[in-house]
Amino acid sequence: MGKNKHLDSHLWQKLMVNYLWENIFKRDAKNRTLTTILSENLLFRKLSKKELKFVENIVHERHYRADEVIFKQGEIGVGMYIIVKGSIDITITDTDPTGKAPTKKVLVTRLISGDFFGEISLVEENGRRSATATAAEDTLLIGFFKPDLLEILERSPATGVKVVFELAEVLGRRLKETTDKITQLRNEIRLLADLQKEKGESGK
Amino acid sequence: MANNKALRREQWLRLAAVIALLLLSFTILIKVENMLVSFLLAFVISYLFNPIVSHFERMGFDRSLCISVLFLISGILIGTIISLVSPLITNQLQNIQSELPKYAEGITSLVAYVEDRLSSTLSSFYDFNLSQESGALFQSWIGSTLSSLPVLAQKTFTTIILAPFFAFFMLRDGRNISRKLLSMVPNNLFEIALSLTHDINEQIGGFIRARLLEALIVGLVVWLGLGIMGFRYATVLAIFAALTNLIPYIGPLIGAIPAFAIALINQDPWLTILIMTSVYAIAQIIDMLFIIPLVVAKIVNLHPVTVVIVIIIGSQVMGILGMIISIPATSALKLTVSTVYNHIVGFRVS
Repeated sequence: MGKNKHLDSHLWQKLMVNYLWENIFKRDAKNRTLTTILSENLLFRKLSKKELKFVENIVHERHYRADEVIFKQGEIGVGMYIIVKGSIDITITDTDPTGKAPTKKVLVTRLISGDFFGEISLVEENGRRSATATAAEDTLLIGFFKPDLLEILERSPATGVKVVFELAEVLGRRLKETTDKITQLRNEIRLLADLQKEKGESGK
Repeated sequence: MANNKALRREQWLRLAAVIALLLLSFTILIKVENMLVSFLLAFVISYLFNPIVSHFERMGFDRSLCISVLFLISGILIGTIISLVSPLITNQLQNIQSELPKYAEGITSLVAYVEDRLSSTLSSFYDFNLSQESGALFQSWIGSTLSSLPVLAQKTFTTIILAPFFAFFMLRDGRNISRKLLSMVPNNLFEIALSLTHDINEQIGGFIRARLLEALIVGLVVWLGLGIMGFRYATVLAIFAALTNLIPYIGPLIGAIPAFAIALINQDPWLTILIMTSVYAIAQIIDMLFIIPLVVAKIVNLHPVTVVIVIIIGSQVMGILGMIISIPATSALKLTVSTVYNHIVGFRVS
């Protein structure tokens, strides 16, 4: 029974992580430039042209080759990435809690141009990455990190507040979607348990 | 697999390029005359001015304009202060210079007196010959100081011109320069490099501002105290106390030595020496009560033993300058090591 409970919580964790990394803000993405990607991003969509120019000079442009790791599960996260070109695979290392089965990599989701990931690190103190991000092809990313957010807040608080507010909204929406998903899953599990119970009773 | 190898090679090359660039800059700083001091002073100026520039930038002013206006105003301000204070300092320095033989003689006789007392009690153990040695040492020291004065003046002049020049560009382009340098860092080390740069920057900025505030307060208290007492050379002694206060632990002691030497040689009454002691003590108490908490909050906590060892190493490598910069340099090193450790090793545990 205890073991079952353990496995259940492990399953939950996996599903939660899965959901956390899934991009629920997907937009149709084709070839777009760094500036348009930035202006279309949820975090920066409320900024004026001047403010966007200011932010553009603060964020970092990073190029990754196919199969290059952006960050690893368990590392301290410093900030988020926005995909300009290319795609990113989000994977988690699945360790068997009983320690019997070998660890394996599980693909959680593939993110494409316009998507963003890792934004929780912007507000987390020494938070660890809950998954590994790897470039699926040659990829161009915009890196936006905690020191950058602090710089925006220090040099232009009005711009910073807009970004932080949008960030809060994104995190809030993630939380709400996750809660909804949990409720849905709980109902499904209850249904399954009922079904099993019925099956057991009919089997008798 | 081949792709992986190429990737790794590229990462190593990028890292090597960054390290080579940093080493080159460091070598230039060390090897080129006047460069290190000018650069460090420029750092201090830029860290000091940065909060002010950011404040005006927040109000909507252009950053470059803010920096230019700030430099102009502080130039005028410093010029005015120097023109007001310099006659006083020159006067006091001239007095010291004219009375220097007297003090040299005074110190020698003071040493001779101590020696006399010591040898009367310890003669059976050790043969003292301090007065002759210290006399010769003191004479040669004065001689070398006086002869190196023109070179020192020329060096100071170059530094005074170069430091604000560097500071201006550090304030204006510093962020872009560090961004450019960070863009060269390989992807696998980028996040750690970025957060490290930010943390070290914050910490050293806080440290420099707190230390300077400390020196200013100690200088002011000493200046006021000695001034009210009517003690000789109050301004010069206060400036000396403020500057030496930048050296942790032993700095305040060194700062107080000249005043006590002067008082002893002139055979001032005990009351004067007592009041003088309390002036220096009050300066240190104010320092401890108000400033140390500020410094401690801003800097990685170093163990007192580490501090002393590091200061000794600093003094042996770079003299007084080494003593002053050894603490922030060690803190930066400690921060780097702990961050890298947390980033690389820590996650294996979790």
